[in-house]
Amino acid sequence: MTKRISAGRRLVTTSILLLGLAANSVLAQTKAPFTFGVALPTTGAAAPFGLDQVQALEWAVADINAKGGANGRKLNAVILDTQARPQVGIDVVTRLVSVEKVPLVITAFSAVVAAVAPIVNRNNVLTFVIGANSPRIATMGDYVYTTYPLADVDVTLLAKYARTEMKKSNAAVLYLNDESGVYGARVFRENFEKLGGRIVAYESYEPNSTDYTGAILKIRASNPEIVHLQGNAGDSPQAIAQLRQLGIKVPITSYTAAYNPQMVKQLGTQADGLIVASLAPGVADLPSVASYVERWKKEKGREPNNVPVTQYVHDGAYVIKALVEHLDKTNTPLTGENLRKALLELKSFKLPLTEDVTINENHTVFKPVYLLEVKGGAFVPIRVFK
Amino acid sequence: MFDRGILLQVLWTSIAAASFQVLLTIAFALVLKVTKIWNFAQPALMGVAFYTLFVAVNWVGAPIPAAILIAFLVTAAFGFAIERFAFQTLRERGSESITFFIFTLIFAQLVIYVLTLAFTTEPVFLFANMMSPTTLVGGVVVSAWDVSSIIVAVVLTLALLVFLRYTRLGQYMIAVADNADLAEAYGISKRQSYAAAMVIAALFITAAMYLFGSKLAVFPELTLHMMIFAVVATILGGIDRIFPAALAAVGISLLQQLSVLVIDSRWQPLIVFSVLFVAIIFFPRGIRLPARRVVGDGRTGVGTAEAT
Repeated sequence: MTKRISAGRRLVTTSILLLGLAANSVLAQTKAPFTFGVALPTTGAAAPFGLDQVQALEWAVADINAKGGANGRKLNAVILDTQARPQVGIDVVTRLVSVEKVPLVITAFSAVVAAVAPIVNRNNVLTFVIGANSPRIATMGDYVYTTYPLADVDVTLLAKYARTEMKKSNAAVLYLNDESGVYGARVFRENFEKLGGRIVAYESYEPNSTDYTGAILKIRASNPEIVHLQGNAGDSPQAIAQLRQLGIKVPITSYTAAYNPQMVKQLGTQADGLIVASLAPGVADLPSVASYVERWKKEKGREPNNVPVTQYVHDGAYVIKALVEHLDKTNTPLTGENLRKALLELKSFKLPLTEDVTINENHTVFKPVYLLEVKGGAFVPIRVFK
Repeated sequence: MFDRGILLQVLWTSIAAASFQVLLTIAFALVLKVTKIWNFAQPALMGVAFYTLFVAVNWVGAPIPAAILIAFLVTAAFGFAIERFAFQTLRERGSESITFFIFTLIFAQLVIYVLTLAFTTEPVFLFANMMSPTTLVGGVVVSAWDVSSIIVAVVLTLALLVFLRYTRLGQYMIAVADNADLAEAYGISKRQSYAAAMVIAALFITAAMYLFGSKLAVFPELTLHMMIFAVVATILGGIDRIFPAALAAVGISLLQQLSVLVIDSRWQPLIVFSVLFVAIIFFPRGIRLPARRVVGDGRTGVGTAEAT
């Protein structure tokens, strides 16, 4: 009797479980995908970087979807090209907001972010800025958040490193005359001077130019002990090449925009003395990063341009997954407002390639800074500042 | 701060940087002198020259001399086609100069759009290696690129001078430039001179784009910015005067680079536009040396000789 009851119970339980699983599966299949926008440069000077960031994101989305999506809801990215130009960025984000009706956008490049911020704020579209570093990004509105540390983190550290560790008493700053360059350069200048250093030249170049001779000649005339470069991913290699070409052999510090193994390959030992601040763990720091870089080598035959930023963009998909799952738990509509609320509720995320990230109240994030230096024509890790 | 070494460096770098500007200015001034057309289609030719070089070197793997020859032939054919099918048609219609102006401007923009579609807006170098070997001469960094650029600019300029003075076609071109109808009355073909001006301009443009692209990155729209310099130098040198325009190009380059010693480099691009503004308002016929007084014998009176 007991045996019969037990068998019957098992049958009923199994049936219920199977039914539940089937229902869950049907529900998962019927859940509408979550579509978000991506506004990154896929043509133009920054295309080599934007394309790699898009690739990283596509892999992350594919991996998430292959494992069932965000609690059964597939992620779907609408990717549009900004050329890293503010005007194009405005057109692209307007289309994402008005035509594609996305509640969330991923974008980068400080000048583009400054241009599109009013649009996303007005339309309550949650925006993740990943890779741009102008300190002003933290104050660009309620819907603009960064998952990537701003210049206050890495550029401040570079200024301190140059002054206190390298004992440089004077420095020259070469910066791109746009949102990212102007404000990033200011961070370096203020911090270097605060520590008793002297800025002997503070020169800029225009976004639409490729010849920086004038600014570099002035830097040469000021005879600095170190040069800080605050450019973009697209122009930094040219700036470094022209600095070296005009006989400036002193160390050059720069942020992650200059973390470009391809450029170092082109410049060879001329790039020696370039010190860059990376904001993501490297191959030696995290096994998942090693696998990720291996994947690049296997599938693309090379390392990605600006590896750290691609790691952050990759992980952006996992932040979105977490937000969608959080809202789906309570059947809350996936609107920009609700996604923002979810972001503020969750705050901290454990991410595969960039580890723990916490979104601060003031729209900033703090992460360890990994310093690398080009020695013998290759990037070599020199220090981690936690 | 500005010791002798720095001044010498700025001077040397300015002269080297002026080399491709000189070539582009000569191309612009030559077409203007012979055809009387402000050829704002020059950026299109510059784009065609550069991207043909780029394709020949990087995609086809052609040796450099072959790539330059191919680029010249393509650019020359392009220039010839503009003259034959556009300028000539407009001339036959008796079009106003504003029509030529609008046509050249729109044509340049059209070609730049096509080049952008084909090659994107990504700045590209002609060669994978961005660095040119350098030597230190008396504290001045002299690169191989500097030396070869100056040599190319000087040789081509002198060759044009000889060509215009001592060859039959060159003299025909000058005759057409002075008075096209009169020249034709003497049996000189206007069309031949116009076409020759476009082909020679193509040669200078190809050389300039080779020099530029072997040092700096190029994207299609950049050619529009580069042309402004040639226009300013042409106005400053005196419209219709090719070689003074080339000298003006060197002068503006020196002014631009030397200006960084006294002003912030972010104002540097403003120099060219300021010169253009001043030239148009105060020197519409260019900066000319003061006319020399020729004292006559009392019967012929006092005459003047224009210094060119």
